Amino acid sequence: MNAPARHESYVLDDGEKAVEVIEDTKIPNAATIKIVKQDHTLGNMLRAQLLAMPQVLFAGYKVPHPLHPYFIIKIQTDGTVTPQKILEQACTKLIGTMSSLETKFKREFSYKDVEGTAGGVTAATGEDPYGTTGGAWGRGGDYLDII
Amino acid sequence: MQGHDDGEPTVRIREVKKDRVNFVLGNVDLAFANSLRRVMMADIPTVAIDMVEIETNTSVLPDEFIAHRLGMVPLVSANCDEAIRYTRDCVCLAGCSFCSMILELKVSCHDDNTMDVTSDHLEVVPFPPDEESADPGEELSKRGEWFGHPVGKHDRNVPPVLITKIRKGQELKIRCIAKKGIAKEHAKFSPCSAVSFEYDPHNKLRHTTYWYETDIKGEWPLSENAKEEEAPRDDEPFNFNAKPNKFYFEVETDGSLGPQEVVMKGLAELQTKLANLILGLKIGGADQIDIMPDDVPVPHVPPPDNAWSGGDPNTWGMHAGSASGGSSSGWSQTSPTRGGAGSQWSNDASWGGATGTAGWASASSPQTNGWKQ
Repeated sequence: MNAPARHESYVLDDGEKAVEVIEDTKIPNAATIKIVKQDHTLGNMLRAQLLAMPQVLFAGYKVPHPLHPYFIIKIQTDGTVTPQKILEQACTKLIGTMSSLETKFKREFSYKDVEGTAGGVTAATGEDPYGTTGGAWGRGGDYLDII
Repeated sequence: MQGHDDGEPTVRIREVKKDRVNFVLGNVDLAFANSLRRVMMADIPTVAIDMVEIETNTSVLPDEFIAHRLGMVPLVSANCDEAIRYTRDCVCLAGCSFCSMILELKVSCHDDNTMDVTSDHLEVVPFPPDEESADPGEELSKRGEWFGHPVGKHDRNVPPVLITKIRKGQELKIRCIAKKGIAKEHAKFSPCSAVSFEYDPHNKLRHTTYWYETDIKGEWPLSENAKEEEAPRDDEPFNFNAKPNKFYFEVETDGSLGPQEVVMKGLAELQTKLANLILGLKIGGADQIDIMPDDVPVPHVPPPDNAWSGGDPNTWGMHAGSASGGSSSGWSQTSPTRGGAGSQWSNDASWGGATGTAGWASASSPQTNGWKQ
């Protein structure tokens, strides 16, 4: 009855800010960034990406409590860029990796599709290596082509 | 990525089947691969039965038992992004044809044999016109032919999901409302039934320790993926700088989405998360910088309140730096959480109190008199 709405753990409330930056007053070039409604999926990935960047002296994240849907990431840089900026760069870099991976996946999937039909194995059994076109499996294939 | 960020990520699909894909991801780091795994399992929307109205249930199973089983039935959810809205984003009050699907289960047994009630008995029915929302939307036209139908209903080769068994005179009359959701909300929304994830099959990195009685090699057979990597020599010294680089995935779906859609949507979802973070940094960062110099000690956010609950951010800010510097600030408090990849602070454990960060370290004595003054 008093249960909070199920989506509250991953959807921002009205007017809620996705990111809050707390600059560190005692450590130079350091900031703690609270990222709301996100979890280890993003936190760990960002931490690893930040550590791989030469300007970063320290990067660590934690989810303070499993029932509180946010994580904090602490970043210290060498002073050439602000922590916010470097986090932004890390995100951009990850997006780049992700989209290059996307292209590669697309290509790989299309190869497999061609192989499958050419081999005739899948056609004979009525199996569709995509698993997304036709029949009970919907029409995800067409949709993916739109993007 | 660490150590190999110059290289582009690689991917090699080893096998694609109707409901699964097996691929090897290379040149990315562990955190990245794990995030992809997590996002495929928990962040991709599908439709599933979410509300069940039971009119008659004279079967042996109680209502809630059946309702739960109905929720678990995978429904075809291809193109979920465009074909259906979340009810919370919809203009309707409780559900309309744009944000939900109605499925009916009406079965009764009239002969002397036990009858199986399966997911094939679930019929998608159109929304009654009086509950129809007037809002125009193109969601309906984006739906595939079998959108929202139980997986395998229109395929003879797929055995249906058994819901219950009824005997003569027993009857079920149930109206189900299916909605869109993600697995963080309820595991029934996950498109994946299993995702296997392996790296370093020879355990060269010693990320795990095998228990054994007499012979470690005899008692721990190598996985199939071990063929992909060179076995270490017996006298090979441990390379503590090595990083995992090849990740073996097998994504198996429950049929609600195809494996390709799951992988592609997973990547897209991760990008969305990152893009939103960039946006948040741009918006949040701008006014943060404007305001910060004026009232530096007042953090905009209440600090993570695991160590001291209910600290009003202002009071807390006033005291920043004035209370005794302690070592048990919120940072060093370990919560019972388990990090995605191991420890709480995956980089530097001593960082918390030792360095005495502003504000954080000062909160060592929440019970101090005058704390709230």
